[in-house]
Amino acid sequence: MKISYEDTKDCKVITGKMALPNQYFAGRVGSKFIIALRDEHKILGVRCENCDKVLVPPREYCEKCLSKLDESWIELSNEGTITNYTIVNYNDRHLPRRAPYILAMIQVDGADTPFPHIVEGIDVEDVKVGMRVKAVFAGETTNTIRDLDHFEPV
Amino acid sequence: MAQYFGTAVEDIFNTMGERFLPEGAQDVNVTIGYNISGDGGGHWKVTIQEGTLKVETMDGEVADCTAVLHANAETFVGVTLGRIDAGEAFSSGNIKVDGDLTVLIAILPKAFRPFKPVVKASTIVESVEERFRPEKAEGVDVKIGYDLSGEGGGQWTVVVKDQTCTLKDVLDDDCTVVMRMEAQVFVDLNQGKLDGATAFTSGQVKVDGDIGAAGQTTSLFRKYVSEGAAEEKGEELISLKCLPSINQRYATGPMMGKWFDGLKEKKFYAAKCPECGRTLVPPREICAQCRVRCNELVEVGPEGTVTIVDVVYYASPDPLTGKIRETPYTALFMILDGASNDESFAHDLNPKDIDRIKSGMKVRPVWADDRKGNYKDLLYFEIAD
Repeated sequence: MKISYEDTKDCKVITGKMALPNQYFAGRVGSKFIIALRDEHKILGVRCENCDKVLVPPREYCEKCLSKLDESWIELSNEGTITNYTIVNYNDRHLPRRAPYILAMIQVDGADTPFPHIVEGIDVEDVKVGMRVKAVFAGETTNTIRDLDHFEPV
Repeated sequence: MAQYFGTAVEDIFNTMGERFLPEGAQDVNVTIGYNISGDGGGHWKVTIQEGTLKVETMDGEVADCTAVLHANAETFVGVTLGRIDAGEAFSSGNIKVDGDLTVLIAILPKAFRPFKPVVKASTIVESVEERFRPEKAEGVDVKIGYDLSGEGGGQWTVVVKDQTCTLKDVLDDDCTVVMRMEAQVFVDLNQGKLDGATAFTSGQVKVDGDIGAAGQTTSLFRKYVSEGAAEEKGEELISLKCLPSINQRYATGPMMGKWFDGLKEKKFYAAKCPECGRTLVPPREICAQCRVRCNELVEVGPEGTVTIVDVVYYASPDPLTGKIRETPYTALFMILDGASNDESFAHDLNPKDIDRIKSGMKVRPVWADDRKGNYKDLLYFEIAD
């Protein structure tokens, strides 16, 4: 059978809808961390006895010596220090705030590692390394790290 | 028919044919008698010989077999489903075996795939009154219609009013909302195999009327739990889901357009390269080896010879529906009859053939009854014998 490329009678358009289910599993350690933020407004970490380090957010294994850490839970302070920061100056749908906002590395008291979070209640020009901040928890849960809504100056 | 754990004794024997694994039964020559007492019981004789299976229903007590099993219907179903411990059933005398016990222990697990109970859409719908939560229905006045098509389908109306719930097996005209889907989709939704949002976004569920009311129904009823399944409460674990949905629009051009016309008529068309003469399946407009335009279609197949068998154990979602695939599933590469030797065509294999398929086998296509000239017309291939 000959096919003619000028004749469009056999051309059709097939439509469909592609659904791409995504699932993120926080793991046993990650779940316990988020549940503590959500239900008790507490920041939990794990302590590696071998390295004498407290890791926040908690992980199941120490990244240096590979010791298993999921039994060595430790409750930390809701206050901490900004160790570094950046100002986010663009808007995008996936970002948690409208620009400009402060994304800082915050080391809570008792921890040896900082983690990134939003700082509010201060002009973006006024943020400084070494500034003391405290955690403000979210009113409604999303079962994510954003159950800790942001940090603000003490 | 009497059911135990949602399954009748008959179901187990009736599915033996499709669960039979000839490879596992090679060099096995046995007869097994089953005398099942109690409601729903009966007598069956199963003969396995040279890799073939025969299941017979008998009029009376079966004897003179390699092994004869005696049990009451509930114990037999329970042990088959793993709900009753087999060891306990033996030691308590609820199951007795005359003859060679090793036949049952050593041969059966190799010769048959495990029995899985089939949950029917009607069973789930009919449990709706028991699953109703009056405390969640204060001030709720809705009529939810279910229009389930395909095998095991039907039409029902669930009326929720004054904190009571009644089920009618007709579809009322004045429903607040009507949900239309295939019966199997409904079963998958209720068993957690398919996510509600996924089913809706991918068009597998159609909602007529008040969509808000459709969403509300989930909280009005407890989750369907198949009979006998234990509910365990464990440690809370966090898992987050999101569902991007992407609209697709594919313009076929004349070549692929003809391919889809062909599927409607149960035919496969291949493009033929005017230069090298090889066939391309599905047809492409350009032969990528000669870089010339193809302008001729030839019919190939419909049967083919398997070249490669891929058995997939990873439970990935089907991107066309968002539904998690049943595993294992098999992708076949085959040369359709009359196609060039290096031009394989890939499609699915009928899951029932998964244990028998080998490269070199002949396979034939299985077509949808209602063909519309799209990719859904061709269901899968199966072994041609």
